[in-house]
Order: sequence, then C-alpha cells, then structure tokens
Amino acid sequence: MLAKHTDLNARSRPRSRRWFRGEGWTALFFLLPGLIGIFLFLVLPILASIALSFTNWQLLGTPRFVGFSNYTRLFTTDPQFWTVMRNTVFFTIEYLILNIALSLGLAVWISSLKIGQRWFRVVFFLPTFTPLIAVAIVWMLIFSSGGLLDSLMAQLSLPFSGVLNNRTLAMQAVIITSLWAGIGYNTVLFNAALDMVPATYLEAARIDGATAWDRFWKIRLPLISPTLFFGTVMTAITSLQVFDQIYVMTKGGPGSSTATLGYAIYQRGFQNFQMGYASAIAWVMFALIMALTALQFWLQRKWVHYDA
Amino acid sequence: MKHSLIFAAALTASSLFGISAQALDAPVTVTWQMWGEPNDAQLWQQLADLVTQQYPDIKVKLQLSGWTDYWTRLPVLAASGQVADIVSMQSMRMPNFYSILDPLDDYVKKSDVKVADFETSIMSGLSQDGKLYALPYDVGPWMVFYNRDKFAAAGLKEPAKDWTFDDFKTTAKALTKDGTYGYGTQAFDFIAGPVALGAEYFNADNEFDLTNAGFVDAFSKYADLTAKDKLSPVFASASDASAASGRFASGNVAMYIDGPWTLITAQANVNFKIGIAPLPRGSGPSRFITAGSGWGISAASQHKDAAFKALQVLTGPKAAEILGAAGRALPARLAQQTYWYDGAAKNVAGTRDTLQYMFAHTTPFRINEKWNQFENLVMQYVPVALTGDSTPEGVLSDIQSQLP
Amino acid sequence: MTLKSKARARRKLALDILNHAALLLVALAFLFPFFWMISNAVRSNAEVMAIPVRLLPEVFEWGNFAAAWTRLPFGRFFLNSAIIAICVTAITVVVSCLSGYAFARLKFRGREMLLLGYIGTLMVPPLMLIIPLFLIVNRLGLVNTFPGVILPVAFGTFGAFLMRQFFLSIPMELEEAARIDGAWRLRILVSIIVPLSMPAIGLLSLFTFMGQWSNFLWPLIVMTGADNATLPVGLTLFQTQQGTQWNYLMAGAALSMLPGIFLAIILQKLIYNSIALNAGMGGR
Repeated sequence: MLAKHTDLNARSRPRSRRWFRGEGWTALFFLLPGLIGIFLFLVLPILASIALSFTNWQLLGTPRFVGFSNYTRLFTTDPQFWTVMRNTVFFTIEYLILNIALSLGLAVWISSLKIGQRWFRVVFFLPTFTPLIAVAIVWMLIFSSGGLLDSLMAQLSLPFSGVLNNRTLAMQAVIITSLWAGIGYNTVLFNAALDMVPATYLEAARIDGATAWDRFWKIRLPLISPTLFFGTVMTAITSLQVFDQIYVMTKGGPGSSTATLGYAIYQRGFQNFQMGYASAIAWVMFALIMALTALQFWLQRKWVHYDA
Repeated sequence: MKHSLIFAAALTASSLFGISAQALDAPVTVTWQMWGEPNDAQLWQQLADLVTQQYPDIKVKLQLSGWTDYWTRLPVLAASGQVADIVSMQSMRMPNFYSILDPLDDYVKKSDVKVADFETSIMSGLSQDGKLYALPYDVGPWMVFYNRDKFAAAGLKEPAKDWTFDDFKTTAKALTKDGTYGYGTQAFDFIAGPVALGAEYFNADNEFDLTNAGFVDAFSKYADLTAKDKLSPVFASASDASAASGRFASGNVAMYIDGPWTLITAQANVNFKIGIAPLPRGSGPSRFITAGSGWGISAASQHKDAAFKALQVLTGPKAAEILGAAGRALPARLAQQTYWYDGAAKNVAGTRDTLQYMFAHTTPFRINEKWNQFENLVMQYVPVALTGDSTPEGVLSDIQSQLP
Repeated sequence: MTLKSKARARRKLALDILNHAALLLVALAFLFPFFWMISNAVRSNAEVMAIPVRLLPEVFEWGNFAAAWTRLPFGRFFLNSAIIAICVTAITVVVSCLSGYAFARLKFRGREMLLLGYIGTLMVPPLMLIIPLFLIVNRLGLVNTFPGVILPVAFGTFGAFLMRQFFLSIPMELEEAARIDGAWRLRILVSIIVPLSMPAIGLLSLFTFMGQWSNFLWPLIVMTGADNATLPVGLTLFQTQQGTQWNYLMAGAALSMLPGIFLAIILQKLIYNSIALNAGMGGR
C-alpha cells in the first residue's frame, strides 16, 4: 500500500531524483519495528481507553456500554470536576510562569560566570536525574506538620506552619517541589541557547552603547525565543499531567485543594475502580493539553523569532 | 513454567499408563499473594513451609508486595485473571473483592475447620451476604495507645475500661503542655471514634448517611479536640499510619488510636512504657468495631482443593502460634491469642483484659463497596475541619456528596 | 589612565567574585534537599519524626545504609532496574534512529500525517494506558517477565521525533555522495548518520535510561514476583501497614539515586552538548 502511494508520489513529481524511487518500501522497512510496537503498545491501548470511556467498567466484572453518560456526569453532576479543573489550570499557569522565569534567570546568571559554569549546570540538573517519588518524599518531610519548615518558622516566629494542612499553601508547597525537580532541564536548555548567541552581535550592540538590560531584551531574548518556545510547550504538557508529587505529598487534600486531573484519574480509576469514568477524565485532559498546545502555537507568532 | 511442564509430563505419563488417579497427587505449586515488609517475608515463608511439611505434595509460592502496592496491583491482576491461588484480604476491602474469591462455606463443612475457634467479629468481617470468603489470621479493634510514663508524671490514673469521652478529653487536656500534645489524631479516629460513641454512618439500607445528627455530633466531638481545644496536632491529608505513631514514639503526643497490629512496631520504637485502653464510650454502653485480615481462594484458581488444604495450615493453630508469638498478629484463633498476650505484648499493661473486654463488646463493622472510597475521602477532607477552615458539618456533607 | 583602568579592573574583579559567590550560595541552598535526605537516612526512625527538628542527627546511624541494603534484596532490585533500563534504552535508540531516519530522509505518502500522529501521542496521559496495556501483556503471556515490562515502554514516539529533528540538521550532501557509491540506506544510516548523531543519541539514551530507572507504576503492576521488583517498587516495601520506616526509605532512596548522580556528573559534558543541540533545534 505504501508502495502504491509512493508511485503516486513519484508520478506527481516526475523530476524527483532517481534514487528516491521505491522509497515507500524502504520507509516501511525503517518504520516497521517502531510501527509494530506503537500499534501494539500505544494505538491499541489508546483505542481501548477511548472505548472504555463509554462504559461503566468497574475493573472487576464486565464493562457495559453507557454512551456519553460518563462525560455528561463529568460536566454536569460531578461536584468535584470544576474544582479539579481549576486546580489543574492554576497549577499549570503558576508553575509554567515560575519555571520559565526562574530557569531563564538561572541560565542568564550562569552564562555570566567566568568560571565553573558547567558545575553550576550540574547542580541544578541533579534533581532531573532523581526519581520523582524520592524527591517528593524528601519535600514532604520538610513541609509536613512539625517538620523542618515548621521548626524553622517557629524559631523565626513566622506564621507559616503546617503548610500541607493549609488549603492555600498546600498547592504552593507542591509547586515549590515541582520547581525544584523541574527547572534543571530548562536551565541547561536556555543556558545552551544563550551560549549559541554569537558574541559578535552582543559586542556590536555594546559598541553602539546598548545597556546590558537592552542587550538582554532586544538581542539575546529574541534570538533564543525558539528555544524558549520549545521549553514552554514541553513544560506545559508535563505540568498538566502532574501526579507523583500530589500522590506523595497531599493525596489531593486538604479538602480538594490540590486535586488535579492527573490525581483524579488515579483516584477514580485505581482507588474507586471507576475505570470507565477515569478514562473519560483522561480524554478531557487530553483535550485540554491539545487546546493549550494549540494556543501556544498560535501565540508564538507574536513573540517567537525564527529568522536569526 | 518448569513446574507446569513437569506437571504436564506427569499427566501425560499417568494417562498413558492408565493410572490417572495418581495425577491428583502430583506435586502442586500454589501461589500465595501477600503483603508485608521485608521482615515479614521470613514469617510468611515459615508458614508456607509449614504447608509443605504437612502436605509434601503442595508447595506454596509467596508473592510479596508492599501494603499500599498490594491494593494497587490486586484489581489490575484480577481484571485479567492473574490473581494467585491464595489471595490475602483485609476485612474492610471485602465488599470490593469478594467476587474474585470462592465462598469457603462448603470447603469448611467438608473439613474439620471449626468456625467457633475463630473470633466471631472477624469471621463476619470476612463474610459477604452471609457467605464466608476468607479465613482470618488476625483480628483487632481500634484502641487507645498511651504513654504510661507521661500518665505517671502528670499524676493521672490509668484509664478505666469503660471510660467516657469526657474522661478522655480531660486526660488529653492534662497531658497537653510544654509544646507536646495529649492526643495525636489520625483519619481513622473519625470512624472508629464516633462508632464507639454510639453513632452510625450508615442508614438502614447500608448506605452512607454521614449528615445524620448523631454522626455529625460524635464526629464534631473528635474534631473539636483538635480544632477548638488544640489537644492534638492536625494530621496531613497524605499522612500514612506512621504520622501519629511516629510522634507518639518521639514523645510528642501521649495518646493515639490504632490497632493491635501496630503494637510490635510501636514497642520497638519507644523507650517508655506503653499501655492500651478501649476507645472512650458515649452516654451508652461501650461498643467497638474490629478489623482483620485473612486468606481466601481465588475463584479462578486451578488448584482449589490444594489451596484449601494450604489455607487450613496457614490459618491453623500452629501458624497462629507462630504469628502470635512473633507479635505479627493478634491471632483470630481464640485459643492461640495467648501467645500474643504472653509473648509480644507481655510488657504492655492490660492487653489481655482490655482486648477481651473489647471483644465482648463488639458491634458489627458495617461496610459497603464504597468503603475504600470513603476512607480516602476522610483522609483528604477531615484535616480541613481540624484547622477550622470548615465546619464538621461542611466536611461531612462534602464527603457525602462525593459518595453517589 | 592606568590607575583608573586598574581601579576599574579591580572593581570588575570584585563584582565577578561577588557574582560567583552569590550563585554558589543559591546552588548550596538548592542542594539542601539532598542533604536532608542523607541526614534523615542516618538517624533513628523515631528521630525522623521528633520535634523540634534537628539539622543533624543526635546519633549518626551510618549502619542504616547497610541495613536498608540487606533487609531487602537490594542487589537484585538494582540488577532488575538496570536490566530493564538498559534494554528499554537500547530498543528505543535503535527504533528511534530507524523511524527518525524515515521521517527525515525518505519521501513517502502520508509522512507528515504520520509524524503528526506520532507527536500527538505524546499528549496522551500515560496513566490511562496502564490497564489496557496490562491486558495486552497478559494476552501475550508476558506477565512477570522482563519482556513484559520492557517491550510496552520501549516504543515511545518521542525518540523518533527527536532523532528526525537531529537528522534534518545533518547536511544532505554527505549522504548523497554515499548514495552515488551505491551504498544501501541502512548502511548509510549506520556508518554515516549515526556516528554524526552521537550527541542526540546520547541525550535520548540518558533520558530513556533515567526515565526507566525511576519508573514506578508499570513495573509494579507487571512484575508480580517478589524477586522481580525494581528499585522504586522495592523502596515502597518500607511503607508498611504498621507505618513507614522513614530512615530506611531515605537510605534506600539515596542509594537508588547514586547511578543518576554519577551519570549526571560523569556525562555532564555530553548532557550539555546534547541539550545544546536540542536548544538549537527547538524552534524547527
């Protein structure tokens, strides 16, 4: 079938070079190992999961088709859904902004150093190489009531104690943990992009009398904007799926103040055995990720410069 | 794989020679899915070996997971028919999982297992709709663990068996001082506690009815200990069972509520004397709920008869003695409980009296298939009532609204 | 003039030192959670929960590391984790190079659509696929086997996308010269493209390896045998029905982090170069 397509392709482009003929078969040969695996272990489960979202499967017992009722229940009667949605969006926005700002700041700071750049990069990169579960457990020991932070706050007579029991602060604790674990990659990424900005540009600007501030905003930032965009998109996709930190640190609480979509999927599917319902939530999450990514691609026209 | 090959070969050979009766006696490997920490593994293995000693043809193969993971893994395995022959089950999870188990009543009738040898509350805890689905190995009510040294230092009398909630509160108040608390609350206190005070969380149809006046009132009493009187630290929504026991061990709280299954760990961690007392009662007579765990036979098992033979040994007197003496479990077998009282619990004041008193005053532990969901919601929402961010009524109606 | 410029140089030097010192402080603060992990790993379990909290343990119990290691078959868990991580990495790299090459260099009908499909799968929440995946693995008879845990996670689409992006940056001319010699496509890939792509392959390997090293839910569900547990799964054995042994948990976590830290330090140059490439490709 692919070969036929290639023939069509070849006919429509008669001037394509001779050695490209029959590439459909070659492509199939190259793609086949991946395609088999992807079909078996990605496409099939995805289809199954879509199908499940239209059933009432309880994990034990046989699933029964229930049409769109999981989705209607989600949007109309579930008392938790909009809270969960709000938490997820709140987490994503705050985390995304702080992550990009901090990692960009660190990247610029590191690139201003004369010596030891690479060691600083390693330091900030280390958490990326640490299992997230382990990271979350350490931070939980720090934030837990009567833990390290509480002791510190008591000595300083500050009113922040038991942050994980506080409905506003618990989410902030989760965000701090996520930032610690997550800024390393973007820091190195942005740092590398900054290093690739030709020194001659900056030198020229300096001679023209541009301040360091101007050089950053008018030259370096636009030049690394494609990388910045890449980092933002990838970070957004992962932050919408946040789960591990919440599983370890708050279990969605106190109340529902840190319940996110990722946690809701786990809770409904693996704790309450509402697999059909959990699948429906997952597809709503998928739609949200798609929408956000599309939005970012649309926005990029306003600030990303590819022509340098 | 190897075993099934040998088994298949044995089958073929025996049928070839027309001696198919022998196939039944061919060695069988029975798998046993169990939870436990690394130390437990040796104990469980000891029990598995007991089976082979008694039935040389039966080999029990242990599949161990951590406590939390066990419950993540079990439904997934069950959904694909991969559960082991012998499945471990906690009484509170029975409504979710009884469908993957075989009822044991017929097996029990045919064997010499005597139902009366076991503590009755846990036998009913492991039953569903009148059918028994697992034989228990341990049992225990929720009770108050207290620091005897602190009681003595504060000049307090040790709790009476029928102490009331007001006594409990007065005691907690007297013990709250110098930055330490009289009481360390945990999520399950808000279930076992109100029940002991005489409240019901279910309606007559066995469905959650958390906002009935009696339950709200009893729940509020426990919430106020923390929210109003500051006699306990707030527990975190993700804290596991160790939060209060950890604070108890470090001397930061003087009392907490847990089951006898934690006594051995608690003892190992502390450098003071521990006492145990029943949960405080309300204006009515004392009443307590118990929980426990046992082992059932998978409905999908290929070796049900062998599995039941193994099960009889695993829950038999000798196994109960081993687990009791090691302190791993307060045996569900009444005659063997003494090994726990005289062994693991010998340094703890009043275990025998207290527990026998509590077993004499048990009330059925009412659960349904949403129980697990309910417990998770209690963990997640109760802290909000303890910090005063929300009222007990508010929290209970929040939880109720999520149990459709 | 020399005086003035000397003064300026001195001021600049002072600023530089200040700049380094300030970032050094930030970096040390950043490392604090690692310190806290170790500090909790070497105290008694009761002291982990003690109030007030002490920065350093009252009594250093260095034996906790050995205890954590011996109370669990930790060596076995280490080996299991390593086998899984290495096999997944190897398969991922080979498959991604092949697919990435097809996307970057071969013309076939539906290429863009297929690529878009590949990228789209990155947005599917993995948590949701666990149950259907397990049913498939079970149907294939691979439960509690290494292939059962390895194969389903070895065919991610990210690698194909990453390799395609990198291959696009390799000048076409190199390849066309070889084509004229009549060299076969696969040989071109292996002998010309792959050696040029080591930074990208390195990046892909590292992240695949680390991703699998810390993968938790999937091995937990597939590996039902006690001896087949991986490190993260093994660690949770310290969280018991009777409570958590924080000190052992921390000691075990610290031990399980060693390969990652080791790799991060040894391979820091490769990581930087690879990510730099990624940075360069980011916009394309």
